[in-house]
Amino acid sequence: MIYTNWVVALAGIIFAIGAIGVMFRRNPLIMFMASEMMWNAAALAFIAFARQFHDMNGQVMAFLIIATAAAEVGIGLALIVSVYHKRHRLDIDEISRLKG
Amino acid sequence: MVGIIIVAILAIGASIGVVTARQPVHSALYLVGNILSLALLYLMLKAEFLAAAQVIVYAGAIMVLFLFVVTLLTAGKEERELPEDLPGQRIVAGVLSGLVGVVFAVLAIKYPGPVIKAPLPSHFGNLTGMGRLLWGPDFVYLTAIAIMLVSAALGVMVLNPPRKRRQIEAGDSEQQKSQTSPETAKKEREGTG
Repeated sequence: MIYTNWVVALAGIIFAIGAIGVMFRRNPLIMFMASEMMWNAAALAFIAFARQFHDMNGQVMAFLIIATAAAEVGIGLALIVSVYHKRHRLDIDEISRLKG
Repeated sequence: MVGIIIVAILAIGASIGVVTARQPVHSALYLVGNILSLALLYLMLKAEFLAAAQVIVYAGAIMVLFLFVVTLLTAGKEERELPEDLPGQRIVAGVLSGLVGVVFAVLAIKYPGPVIKAPLPSHFGNLTGMGRLLWGPDFVYLTAIAIMLVSAALGVMVLNPPRKRRQIEAGDSEQQKSQTSPETAKKEREGTG
């Protein structure tokens, strides 16, 4: 017997840790990894609810999350690399002005 | 239940490691640990196909991409955290996010929801069940994923053009140099380089 509510609580805790990481760190790579963790927590909540309600649509949504995360990582890392090529520093405040 | 507690402790510890690690490489490795423990949790929640997809896509493809970029950009460098522009932002952000996490956890534990006594439907969570949904009623999601992945690949190619095109653009800005002032031409050359 799996207690779904405890798994959902775990997903909430991981989501909050990811949010703390996004707001605490200045390195865009680490911020990006923390946001990946937040995606993962959302997928975990979807799967837990799918198990609880015996409905596989939650698992389809989690599959959607995994595929979206793959696309998002490609775009995000390309953005980070191109900003690094222009500014030669890894700091999120480099792009606070959004002007090349 | 014991297994779930162990995996939960592993997942939370690895996620704290991601946030607190000093080097980006260490935080990428902690993220691999977090992803693998979540995959174990998916297995316990009867999502076999998604556990396999998580290991292949996340721990395989995405983390390799991350490690490539981390080693490309931060090799031999020491990260120095600069002083914050907004004073006190970190404390406020940490307290608020921690509060959000505590509220999530308390609400989830307090309201467990209904328990369905019936046995799980057949093919729950395995490849057959996922395929029946994705090629049946949810086919539109599969099409959307395909379009999204193709456009993401195109977007990456637009964002980081190959060297040849960059040189052509740099040559264009050299030609404009005679018309514009030398300072702006220099800026353009740096921008395209």
